[in-house]
Amino acid sequence: MALSLRSIKSHFPIFAYRPELVYLDNAATSQKPRSVIQTITDFYEKENANIHRGFYDLSSTATRRYEEVRKKVSNLISANDARTIAFTKGATESINTVAQGFARKKLTSGDNIVISAMEHHANIIPWQQVCRQTGATLRILPITPQGDLDLTLLPSLLNEGTKLVACTHISNVLGTINPVEEIISIAHKKNIPVLIDASQSAGHYPIDARAWDADFIVFSAHKMFGPMGTGVLYAKHTVSNDIESFHFGGGGIKNVSFAETEFLSYPHRLEAGTANVPGVIGMGTAIDFIHQLDLTETSRHTHALCLYFKQRLAELRSASVLGSPSQFGSIVSFGMENIHPHDVASFLAHANIAVRAGHHCAQPLLDSMGIPATVRVSFSIYNTKKDVDQTMDALTELKSFWK
Amino acid sequence: MTRDLKKLYSDIIKQHNETPVHFERVDGADTTLKAYNPVCGDQFDLFVGTNGKQLSQLHFYGFGCAISKASTSILVKHLEGKSLSDAAAICNDFIHFIQLEITGDALLITEEFKAFEGVHDFPERYVCAALPWVEMKKFIDSRIHE
Repeated sequence: MALSLRSIKSHFPIFAYRPELVYLDNAATSQKPRSVIQTITDFYEKENANIHRGFYDLSSTATRRYEEVRKKVSNLISANDARTIAFTKGATESINTVAQGFARKKLTSGDNIVISAMEHHANIIPWQQVCRQTGATLRILPITPQGDLDLTLLPSLLNEGTKLVACTHISNVLGTINPVEEIISIAHKKNIPVLIDASQSAGHYPIDARAWDADFIVFSAHKMFGPMGTGVLYAKHTVSNDIESFHFGGGGIKNVSFAETEFLSYPHRLEAGTANVPGVIGMGTAIDFIHQLDLTETSRHTHALCLYFKQRLAELRSASVLGSPSQFGSIVSFGMENIHPHDVASFLAHANIAVRAGHHCAQPLLDSMGIPATVRVSFSIYNTKKDVDQTMDALTELKSFWK
Repeated sequence: MTRDLKKLYSDIIKQHNETPVHFERVDGADTTLKAYNPVCGDQFDLFVGTNGKQLSQLHFYGFGCAISKASTSILVKHLEGKSLSDAAAICNDFIHFIQLEITGDALLITEEFKAFEGVHDFPERYVCAALPWVEMKKFIDSRIHE
């Protein structure tokens, strides 16, 4: 039986320490359940040892628990095969790994990479860099004024020089849920591999790596109730052994001489150096926690909060919501008439309401919409209607103060 | 509304935010400075006209929060017409004042500078207030040493 959302806050110690906190910055990072924090503490207190190298119980236990998380992650995204999962520091490192370890050797001058106009910096800059290194160009799939991807334009952007398409599942600014299966199917018709950035969706919305037929999927643990500094690269078998490591060291190798090194196969070849073992095990506990939730219920809950918040903003008559995508998740970006987002965020902060203000690491998207910055509210399972009401009270007070 | 926020958004700051001084784009200015805060995406262009070792004309235009907009407006108001060395001293003192709560001699603290006292309780807003002053100081330093 799924955990009840009514009492879900009790699983997150931060709300016991800070009962006044209204946390609406979940797209930046989620809060952590007690079980995840306890797992990390327990590891260091009771189980600490390095993995893949000790012939003693502690080390083999740590290795087993670390490797078990591969299975959990692969099940979470319906890949159902632990060998498809590599551990990284987070989505950013995963994307850099694909850019430098996979795309770079395939790109030559005149080739291109296609990304969408709604990517955050982590899914722009690694591609920009690899294009600069190889003389390739970065092509941008535009969005409609409503904030949906303009998929009718995608086929014309793809040619024999396109070596990869990278696109986010859910926009971290507009909340748009993109039709990833359709994008993948269009690209695959021309045999172009696709990377899906699931940073905003993993653990919150169903992901089906096999049904999508994605070549790469990336995400971070810390946005899905797990620890910071730990993330995932999923790579399909057809492409995984084509990814070379671009940082080297102990681990990840079969045999080393001063003349040459023989590398392990994917995923271990990518995991040189001592891994964030408690981080990975903590991510496993976060996945256990997610399995206790009913994702249909939780996404319905956060979507309802979004709709309610948008309705209340409309009633305020001086706020404008950015975009109106056909399908959206738990994120709302908005502006207040004549009041800069930073000033809005300062007022909300004083009412113990945590939101993000700025360009949300998606500067090109905001530039293309002619807006320098917004206030962003992003909901999670522990948010309530009362959180929205408190936010609206603060915004109403701000409006009268600013007159 | 808490007292701190009222202090941060003092009437002087609100007034400069609503009706900023010399808030217009200048084509062909001697120098255009960019006061840009990568954290929030705020950006003001400062259009600087110089006459020898004097800041003869100052204008600004762009997008930013109330604190940064008011701060830039007050900079324009108080530095226009000043010699480079006087302006440098005022920049230094203003930056020290909002950072360390220390009042220097050059600032001859006016109500308009004092309006930024509230920033002391909001360390995350320090950059908003300091932004144009830091850029102006860099420009003046490069000119003084020419």
